[in-house]
Amino acid sequence: MKGNLYALAYAAVLGTVCALLLTAAAAVTAPYRQANAEAEEVLNILRVLQVPLQDDTSARQLGEVFKSNVREEQRGDVAVYVYSPSADQGAIALRFAGPGLWGPIKGFLALEPDMKTIRGVTFYEQEETPGLGGEIVSSAFREQFVGKSIVDQNGNPGIVISSAGETAPNKVDAISGATMTCDKVQAMLNSAIGDILKEKN
Amino acid sequence: MASDQQPACVSCEPKGLCGGKGLLTLKEGAWANNPLSIQVLGICSALAVTNRLENSLVMGAALIFVCVGSNLLVSLLRKHTPHRIRMIAEVAIIATFVILFDQFLKAFYWDMSKQLGPYVGLIITNCIIMGRAEAFALQNPPILSIVDGVANGLGYAAILAIIGFFRELLGTGEVMGHPVPFTDWYTPNQLMILAPGAFFALGIVIGIFNAFKGPEPEEKK
Repeated sequence: MKGNLYALAYAAVLGTVCALLLTAAAAVTAPYRQANAEAEEVLNILRVLQVPLQDDTSARQLGEVFKSNVREEQRGDVAVYVYSPSADQGAIALRFAGPGLWGPIKGFLALEPDMKTIRGVTFYEQEETPGLGGEIVSSAFREQFVGKSIVDQNGNPGIVISSAGETAPNKVDAISGATMTCDKVQAMLNSAIGDILKEKN
Repeated sequence: MASDQQPACVSCEPKGLCGGKGLLTLKEGAWANNPLSIQVLGICSALAVTNRLENSLVMGAALIFVCVGSNLLVSLLRKHTPHRIRMIAEVAIIATFVILFDQFLKAFYWDMSKQLGPYVGLIITNCIIMGRAEAFALQNPPILSIVDGVANGLGYAAILAIIGFFRELLGTGEVMGHPVPFTDWYTPNQLMILAPGAFFALGIVIGIFNAFKGPEPEEKK
């Protein structure tokens, strides 16, 4: 009995000490991690809008490029990022997010100024299975979206991610072995597309 | 255990490091009983992160840090840890050090942290660390345990660096991200940076190591 109590007390003390250590470390590094996450978001917005960037742009330069090229705007309930001082005025990026298979998926969808054609898709947060669902971040998958329409032939909004075979202006090939992830990505894209089209009309 | 009766490393001063055991421990961990090439432990991360030399070096550093830290703490607490919950205690200690390193990477080496992905966190389940805590730190004084941690960490890091160097060189024609001069004739073999290349490289390294070390002791029976 005494042994049990001692083991319990030992576990409690050790657990508390470890937890305190980790809490302290998390508190100290929080501002840095926050800044990194923000830089990552900014980088994704710039990439998806195809703002020209040098490879070795530092985090602070990123912020400047962002400020001089991108305007944040509220369209109804949707926050959009507008690529403003460019020849092709008004391409926009909007955030989409939703549950993936293992954890949240977040990314940006960019539309051409016609608000119908996809300019690009990026994912900046995902925890899908590496090699299967995780392949959504691969350029092979993402580049399929470029030039696709966000409405089908009959004008119904939505993008379809399904197996190869059919062709439609709003269809991209899914990743085999990652059906769940693709379905979930399709759902969150469509929710974002629905929101932005509703605001436009 | 004989060493258990001695108070922590009192015998250090007269006969070199830890009564002459230090050098032996170092050699054992880093070479004769190398965790990767002889014991073939922890190969999951060794296969996954060695596509670039830089990744391999950071991963090696992470392992050295965690192995030294957890060995030291487990060894310091070895006489107070209840036997029944020792493994849980070890895992808690190991996880603490791993997360500390992960937080450090996330805060100050964001790009590296992205490239290593989940593999830093997975050090928690790395057999080398747990093995050293169970097999060595529980029975040995703190200083000797630190030496053991350094030795095993170095042994792991060295193999990772060798594999990482050759995979990056053959797979991309670069070293640490810099193109190697005078190698225009060489067409980088993408296979080397993909998963199969890791298996080939690790297999060859293990083979070479065992060839140098001679036959396994069991074969003498």
